[in-house]
Amino acid sequence: MVFRKTRVIQINLNVLYIFILVFFFVTLLRLWYLQILKGEDYVKLARNNRLRYYSIYPLRGKIKDRFGNILAEDKPAYDLAIIKEDCPNIKEVLKRLSGYVGVSYEDLYKKFISQRHKVKPFRPLILVPNVSFKTLSKIEMNLEKLKGVHVIIHPVRHYSYGPILAHVIGYVAQADLKDLKKNKNLELGDYIGKTGLEKQFNDLLSGKKGLKQVEVNVFERIIKEKVIKEPEPGKDLSLTIDLNLQKYAWDLLKGKCGAIVVMDAYTGDILALISRPSYDPNLFVKGISYKMWKKLTTDPFHPLQNRVIQSTFPPGSVFKLVVAGCALYYNKFSPYKKIFCPGFYVLGNRRFRCWKKWGHGWVNMKEAISQSCDVYFYKLGELLGIDLISEYAKKCGFGQLTGIDLPYEKKGLVPTKEWKLKRFKERWQKGETLVTAIGQGYLQVTPIQVARFTAAIVNHGKLLKPNLILGQKPLVQGIIPVRKNELKIIKNSMIMTVNSSHGTAHLIKLKGITIGAKTGTVQVTNKLYREKELKKIPYKLRDHAWMTSFAQKKNKAYVVTVFVEHGGMGSSAAGPIVKSIYRYIFKRFR
Amino acid sequence: MELKKSITHFNWALFFSFLIIFLIGVFNLYSASSLMTEEGIKTFSYYKKQMVWGGIGMGVLIFMFLLDYNKIKNYVWFIYGASIVLLVWVLLFGSHIKGARRWIDLKFFSLQPSEIAKFAVIVTLAYMLSEIETISWKNFFKITLIALVPALLIIIQPDLGSGLVLLLIASMMMLYRGVKEYVFWPVIYLIPIGLPIFWHFLSDYQKTRLLILFNSNLDPYGAGYNIRQAQIAVGSGQIWGNGYLKGAQSQLLFLPEKHTDFVWAVFAEEWGFVGCLVLISLFCIFLYYLANVIKDTKDDFGRFLAVGIFFFFFWHIFINIGMVLKIFPVVGLPLPFMSYGGSFTILSFALIGLSLNIFSRKFIFK
Repeated sequence: MVFRKTRVIQINLNVLYIFILVFFFVTLLRLWYLQILKGEDYVKLARNNRLRYYSIYPLRGKIKDRFGNILAEDKPAYDLAIIKEDCPNIKEVLKRLSGYVGVSYEDLYKKFISQRHKVKPFRPLILVPNVSFKTLSKIEMNLEKLKGVHVIIHPVRHYSYGPILAHVIGYVAQADLKDLKKNKNLELGDYIGKTGLEKQFNDLLSGKKGLKQVEVNVFERIIKEKVIKEPEPGKDLSLTIDLNLQKYAWDLLKGKCGAIVVMDAYTGDILALISRPSYDPNLFVKGISYKMWKKLTTDPFHPLQNRVIQSTFPPGSVFKLVVAGCALYYNKFSPYKKIFCPGFYVLGNRRFRCWKKWGHGWVNMKEAISQSCDVYFYKLGELLGIDLISEYAKKCGFGQLTGIDLPYEKKGLVPTKEWKLKRFKERWQKGETLVTAIGQGYLQVTPIQVARFTAAIVNHGKLLKPNLILGQKPLVQGIIPVRKNELKIIKNSMIMTVNSSHGTAHLIKLKGITIGAKTGTVQVTNKLYREKELKKIPYKLRDHAWMTSFAQKKNKAYVVTVFVEHGGMGSSAAGPIVKSIYRYIFKRFR
Repeated sequence: MELKKSITHFNWALFFSFLIIFLIGVFNLYSASSLMTEEGIKTFSYYKKQMVWGGIGMGVLIFMFLLDYNKIKNYVWFIYGASIVLLVWVLLFGSHIKGARRWIDLKFFSLQPSEIAKFAVIVTLAYMLSEIETISWKNFFKITLIALVPALLIIIQPDLGSGLVLLLIASMMMLYRGVKEYVFWPVIYLIPIGLPIFWHFLSDYQKTRLLILFNSNLDPYGAGYNIRQAQIAVGSGQIWGNGYLKGAQSQLLFLPEKHTDFVWAVFAEEWGFVGCLVLISLFCIFLYYLANVIKDTKDDFGRFLAVGIFFFFFWHIFINIGMVLKIFPVVGLPLPFMSYGGSFTILSFALIGLSLNIFSRKFIFK
């Protein structure tokens, strides 16, 4: 029998010491890893746990007219909200609240139930947005009976004159995804200028957002608040617009589609800028409904279009001023030389008609402009050729942006031989030059371009930037290539248009004021309708009416350009509007 | 005569190392009982109550120190039997707190029978081990049964941490006695086979807590919430800590169970790596003196009592800190002298008293 002593596995005191050492090193190694190696990361995580950052919104700058009348400003709006953690009995409070605000308890409760999970604890859930001041005072008086209900005040952009200035000021609305992508400083829910001056001067008006740090506990209850960055309020913007004149001119265009520009001829300051029809910009601030949006975008009269800078139509006879300037500048034709107008002009085997069926007889340049003789300008057109006319027209600011401080300006079109070949793959026809010379055909101009050109005739040829911001120095963007005495001839022809009894704008003559003007009528269809009464012609086939004018008295000079879409004859449709505006202006500045 | 000798050979080092940790514990508990509100810091009374438990504990400590520990031998089976009765009682009639039956409500005091069971198992095993030379199969089964019955009763409360720590203490005590090789190796080999069965009996949240060790982003708002917040608290303490009463994780209540199982995170957040280094060192010094009590004990019962007491503290300290630091899974064990809790504090003081007693009595037999 073999007796084998089995071995025994045993630990002793030394093993215990080793245990202690293991404990020491393992925990310290781990602490070193957590607190020193990864400490920074955990500090960040701890901050994320307890710190929330919120923007503090500055008030957006006011927009005022030249006399300080407020056109756009932030006004307080009041929302009623509930903080559910502060409310002991939600159903009871909602029942009471419904009595004050005129919203049924069921609707309030439904809203509460559907929203409550989207709102963080201790944060307000908005129940009734934009309550009236009357409701608000009722609520404030009974606030102790409405535990948990809070009044939240936030600014809302308000446009006091709505559609009258919509095309100048534009509007603000909540930034959409595109805006957010473009500007990294924007957050969801921020308001930005979408169009008009609100868009153009958004950075100036909006100011700079501030930042608030909020420390919360695990239940999201706010323990501390700290302003990290104060908001910088937006700067006010004063416009060159004269509110009363704007309102007056607005009424003159009532029921029509068209545009009016009133400009200071020496500075380029715009006193009135009207485009009708228009829209209420306040609709966009609160978030326009789909139905309303659809209505605005599908309206056949395009109320969203700013006709002053975006409607492009042929200038009609207004363009004759450009052709006359061109002929004078390039010494192609003497202003005193007379041409016989039999009522038509023959080129090849085609007859080009003058608007006056029986012709104007013998006319020189001044008479041709004031009576708007087509035949005279057919002749000039043939003489000058399209490329020279185009080059000159561009130097007069046509086919170019005027640089007015409004977004989405269109530059129109000045046709050339090259352009036609590219566009239609066809050669330029000589007849088209004649048509262009009387301002029809491919030519397309905006009312603001016409107004700027007209101002240049008065101010010795300076093409000024149309200016909307008060106090800006006039910015000369170009000089019309024309000699002083030649410009005088054109200017005097315009005065003759008003003063001569044969002039097409004779009806706007006013005593004691030097007024010059040029009418334009843009043919929409064949001339069969021309002699008929306007009302009998279908709206869409009626001619477009232009009148551009200037008026001088003492050291003041104004330009008024009126365009009436499908308005009929330039003199009869646009003339009375021009006259009323001058009468109004000079009565006020007397 | 005996008393005089006991006092001349009093283990001052052990006494002070434990007392310093306890005082730091109360000081830290003041912060752990506080929370930041809009009006300022508000403090609950846990730290005051903990001082009361400390006072009672000190009384129990003195009693345990003065008593002739050999007399405990006579009551071993009574103590053991009583603890089993209490464990069964708590399962049947205990108060339900956070989904577990762990406490017997005595109006002025909630008794935790699992703490009594820890004491009972230590004295019972010390007695049993003092009667044998080595651990054969027969002894192994006997001792294992003695530890396993209360451990299982505790685990089904459920209190996995206390149950497992009981088994750990028991196995360490057995190893100190010496386990026959033919018993040791089969048992070691059985562990990997037993693990899947053990896994099967775990509840879902316990399984998640184990898995979190390997994947820190698991269930961050459920079972993983506590440990994640504890990591953030500890880590954000960095080198120097956020300062006393300035631990944001703890003061703003992101850290759960901050006055009990996760009290270490409160300390680590406010005192940083340097503070932790000091406190870990203090714990090591304490454990070192506690281990030294074993040296030169003249009787086996005293020696194995000292071994049991050492491992009681060692495992509680290591597992609690280890669980807060994500070295171990979250099992829910208090940290001696730091975590708030009546039964556990009094038991800790009692065991220190016993250890001091054993140390002093070494010299009486000389």
